[in-house]
Amino acid sequence: MSDKEDRFGVSRRDFLKSAGVGGLATAVTSAGVTDVEAQAGPRVIGPGDVPVSLTVNGKRLELRIEPRVTLLDALRNRADLTGNKRVCDRGSCGACTMIVDGRTAYSCSTLAIDVQGKQIRTVEGLAGANTLHPVQQAFCDVDALMCGFCTPGFVVATVALLEKYPNATPEQARRELDGNICRCGTFVRIMEAAMKAKTVAGPPTRQARWGDMGVARG
Amino acid sequence: MTWGWRVAKYTWPEKPTLLSTRVLRLDGPDKVAGRARYTYDINRPGMIYGRIVRSPYPHARVTSIDLAAAQTAPGVKAVVAYRNPGDEVHYQGDPVAAVAADTEERARDAARLVRVRWEPLPHVSIEAQAMDAAAPKWSTTQENTRPGVRQETGNLETGFNDAAHVVEQTYSTHVITHVCLETHGTVCEWDGDKLTAWVSTQGVHQCAQGFAQALGIPQANVRVITQYMGGGFGSKFAPDSQGIICAKLAKLANAPVKLMLDRKEEHLDTGNRPSAFAHIRAGVSAEGKLTAFDGRSWGTGGAGAGSNFPLPYLYQFPNRKRVHTDVYINAGQQRAMRAPGHPQGCFLTEILMDELADRVKIDPVEFRIRNAPPIAPNAQWIKYFQEGARRFGWEKRHPTGDPTPGPIKTGMGVSAHLWGGAGRGSTAHVDINPDGSVVVKCGTQDLGTGTRTIVTIVAAETLGVPMNAITTEIGDTQYPFSGGSGGSTTAASVSPAIRVTCTDALNQLFAKVAPTVGVQPDDLVAEGGRIRGATDASKSVAWKDACKLLGTEPISVDGKWQDGLSGAGTSGVQFSEVTVDIETGIVRIKRILAMQDCGLIVDRLTAESQVYGGVIAAINFALYEDRLLDRVTGQMVNPNMEFYLLAGMSDVPQIDVVLNDMPERGVIGIGEPPTVSTASAIANAVRNATGATIRSLPLHPHKVLAAIEQQRAGGTN
Amino acid sequence: MKAFAYVNATNEREVVAALKTDGIALPLAGGQDLLARMKDYIDSPDRIVNVKNALDTTVTSTPEGGLKIGAAVKIIDLYENQQVARMYPALNAAAIEIGTPQIRHQATVGGNINQRPRCWYYRNEEFVCYKKGGSRCFAVDGENQYHAIFGNDGPSHIVHPSSLAVPFAAYGARFRVLGPKGDREIAASDFFTMPTLASVLKENVLEDEEILTHVILPAPGNVRSGHYEVRYKASHDWPLAFTTVVLTMNGNRIGSARVVLGAVAPVPWRSKPAEAALAGKPLNEDTAMLAAEAAVSEAKPMSGNAYKVQMAKTAVKRAIMRAAGLKTV
Repeated sequence: MSDKEDRFGVSRRDFLKSAGVGGLATAVTSAGVTDVEAQAGPRVIGPGDVPVSLTVNGKRLELRIEPRVTLLDALRNRADLTGNKRVCDRGSCGACTMIVDGRTAYSCSTLAIDVQGKQIRTVEGLAGANTLHPVQQAFCDVDALMCGFCTPGFVVATVALLEKYPNATPEQARRELDGNICRCGTFVRIMEAAMKAKTVAGPPTRQARWGDMGVARG
Repeated sequence: MTWGWRVAKYTWPEKPTLLSTRVLRLDGPDKVAGRARYTYDINRPGMIYGRIVRSPYPHARVTSIDLAAAQTAPGVKAVVAYRNPGDEVHYQGDPVAAVAADTEERARDAARLVRVRWEPLPHVSIEAQAMDAAAPKWSTTQENTRPGVRQETGNLETGFNDAAHVVEQTYSTHVITHVCLETHGTVCEWDGDKLTAWVSTQGVHQCAQGFAQALGIPQANVRVITQYMGGGFGSKFAPDSQGIICAKLAKLANAPVKLMLDRKEEHLDTGNRPSAFAHIRAGVSAEGKLTAFDGRSWGTGGAGAGSNFPLPYLYQFPNRKRVHTDVYINAGQQRAMRAPGHPQGCFLTEILMDELADRVKIDPVEFRIRNAPPIAPNAQWIKYFQEGARRFGWEKRHPTGDPTPGPIKTGMGVSAHLWGGAGRGSTAHVDINPDGSVVVKCGTQDLGTGTRTIVTIVAAETLGVPMNAITTEIGDTQYPFSGGSGGSTTAASVSPAIRVTCTDALNQLFAKVAPTVGVQPDDLVAEGGRIRGATDASKSVAWKDACKLLGTEPISVDGKWQDGLSGAGTSGVQFSEVTVDIETGIVRIKRILAMQDCGLIVDRLTAESQVYGGVIAAINFALYEDRLLDRVTGQMVNPNMEFYLLAGMSDVPQIDVVLNDMPERGVIGIGEPPTVSTASAIANAVRNATGATIRSLPLHPHKVLAAIEQQRAGGTN
Repeated sequence: MKAFAYVNATNEREVVAALKTDGIALPLAGGQDLLARMKDYIDSPDRIVNVKNALDTTVTSTPEGGLKIGAAVKIIDLYENQQVARMYPALNAAAIEIGTPQIRHQATVGGNINQRPRCWYYRNEEFVCYKKGGSRCFAVDGENQYHAIFGNDGPSHIVHPSSLAVPFAAYGARFRVLGPKGDREIAASDFFTMPTLASVLKENVLEDEEILTHVILPAPGNVRSGHYEVRYKASHDWPLAFTTVVLTMNGNRIGSARVVLGAVAPVPWRSKPAEAALAGKPLNEDTAMLAAEAAVSEAKPMSGNAYKVQMAKTAVKRAIMRAAGLKTV
């Protein structure tokens, strides 16, 4: 993945590659609407399978999926990355929370095709081979989980919280975790875990910042 | 086996090293890392996806089902009809057909191509409406009501004669759904006539039986696996229609099929907590003793399911009568939901208790102490009222109605509950291998309550080895029978089974090593990874060296739950403090105190989590959740997690948990009791804050504002 | 969700061009509303036009001293923008109340304004209501606790879902719209339309193939503003009633006022009676109470939502008190 991305987070080269066409760039000119129409407008792809290239936990993932496939379903059903869960599937519960270009997002409410060229982090990308992320460790230490089905989403949201506010106040923590629902009732201990993790997590490490993550390191 | 006579003596250790300590949940790391594979996460080679077609109508007759268009849709591998023309469906979400296709998206597409023709029938969706003799019937063959329990004790006339005050009111609670985060569902894979089913279930063995019966195959041909499951709360004991459909699709398609319900299906067709209503007339003497209770109750468990609950709850009415009616409506059937019946009976009784206390001008805690059952091992309420009031700062509670100026009013409330939690016949198997490794197998399942962890704790405690020396295998019908995880019975069933089995295995090991150590088997103990003389600790052998003496033959023992290691009956009391914004009617909870016992605590950390969880579930019951059926069409308007409200982080107050250790009582379940009384304590706190009584749940602002309005107008509050 | 063709537009004009098709084409911004509607088969477009890479993602100063906000600005970026916070504090307050962190990270200003109603009859496929080409509003005889208390002449009784529309209307914002015939500017208060049988399928004046590209806020001038939302849950929830007030001060007295209520009517509801009750008055709690009473004087609640009148009253009062810098509770 090139470090030089345009302001939309999709490098031109990648877009062209994923769209499977050449010579598209000429369609985008300062011409009037009529001119664009005359050139048949920008490329229409789908509705069948199209190549979609995702960068997940620093690794490149090449898929062939329909444009309608969400980021969550693409990873769960096509890449066997089942850590993040599908619970409400409508952006109400947070179990599918991933970090896209440094910010949390509901991956059930994000099309996979829309996040090509972006750095996607899932719950699987947090732990090392033998060590847990400090947030994950804190969740274990204070029993901030029961059935565990909301846990990946809460863990990811808490990681994002502490990357944004390394010294988060309880107020900040509550606000940043308000997009997630737990049914077993682990909230009290999740808050405890968030406050505990901030004391051991320290400032975000270089690796933890999406902008520094590259394919080689993944 | 000369020492066989000792087998009857199973006890818990007097000075445990692991039991009752704070042990970290064993599967925590796998869950936080996203490695734990739930049923929803099972991906099998060649797996395809199932999707069910359901009735959009609350009551209708199927006139025809045309599968042709679905059968030829892209990617479709199997299509089945689940109903026949002429069949009657009784609720929105009743399954009628299903498809399986190579992707989830295509399965959904194909399901929409199944053409079902319907003859809509008149429906009922509201309890009061259903009870009207002229109402449409929920079923063309059955009545809308059925007489339920009828209980009578003492003499009502005497009771009311003894009363100085009488309160007569109607109280009610609403229908809520389980909202398991992992929806119900199954992955089914056939190998010839043998079925392997990964099921999100609370009972693997029960599920295997269900599959076998429904599919007409021997139970021995069914293997059910549940390594991790995302919440059940009483709704996940059977394969259900989706499990049977999944198995049929897999057979037809000759491929593994994953069929997980979506959120809407989960709300409509996987159970709910029945509503509860009671018109109650109750009397209290001038001295503050309850004298009489006359209750007429009803409720709905949906399409043809009962709705009973205990009433009056907990407190001692010497003269009482209660008559219940089950009401049927066109809605999904109820299923057991975390302490079935108790939250309803508790609310209906506890609001009445505060009203009665006010009539005799006695503090609600004192009033409850006067009318609670006497103290007993399984009846600690009086102690908890006293101790809890002290811890909570109850003396700062003002009389009903916060006199503080401004729109924010503060109040406190209290409520009590009980539960059973007894154990029953779990079985287990343990292998002690010559290399010192230990494998414990038990066909129970971990719903998130920590079962895997407590099995390991008991085994490690018994064998005197560290927990990481134990391999615990659960969640599979290949392991010895254990019952479904319901009624808070799992800890009390499984812990004794493991204790018994491990004790037996250890005794065999003692017999083997006794000659080497030079101590009689009876005088050996296992602790700290060694086997040593009970009186002479210098005579000992390390666990691994002891196991080497087994040669090539492991110790392999089956065992069963036995009486004496578990108990039954728990009690608890909860206090709550709330604020009410009387200009908006919005309730915010400031803090909750939960006083709770569960006998011998196995893992203090996960036991506390159960209490937190129960309290938070009940906050949802009190304030947020509500299954709303459109009163005209009978269809659910909020089958999602957006308008089916559930508490988030900012809605959760400070919660303090006090666990009362009673190790002499043995292990007792704690999953359900803490969720019983919270809602009543909250409602009573709202009453204390505002002076307005809300006699129905949830405590939605419209009710709070209406009650405040009524109270200002000099109403019956 | 029905399968659809996909266009990744890279500029405004491409968006407009791509929206022209034989079937149904819909623009996709943050997707927090549209994808759910598609999953529930409320909308089943043949083509999706991704506008995230095409529309403006910046907030810039205007020569008139106001701000120009791109439609693709994320809610979180609007909230964290220092100029917005300083110049339009009520807008800043509204932004942080929207949805959840995850939603604020994805959702855009344009999407917030153009989102469809959250009415549960509209959102469930079973109910073929006016907004889906049917011939009834199910809320009238049904579960209407979250429906309108103002502007209830029908045929639809939804409440407009946009949180930003209310402060935009109160601050006198204008919306820039681009279509096949070029661009035009519309006052925020004229953008949203009360339902009629002819217009009930949508909530605003946007034509097919038109797209909202910018919100242009005038220079704030000598105003005090306040925003207050009444929500049941403290975490993720839709407000039951909320208000933005913008008061042009004349010394210690209120010169003129704009009072706009949200979640109470099919459009952001401007309350002329409340504005009249504020003009010329000192800014204090008594004035706030009077204005709040005036605001709900024209309320016409439905069978199950009279409680929202009290909530709307409280929201108006507390928004004014916030503008005055007074404690609200």
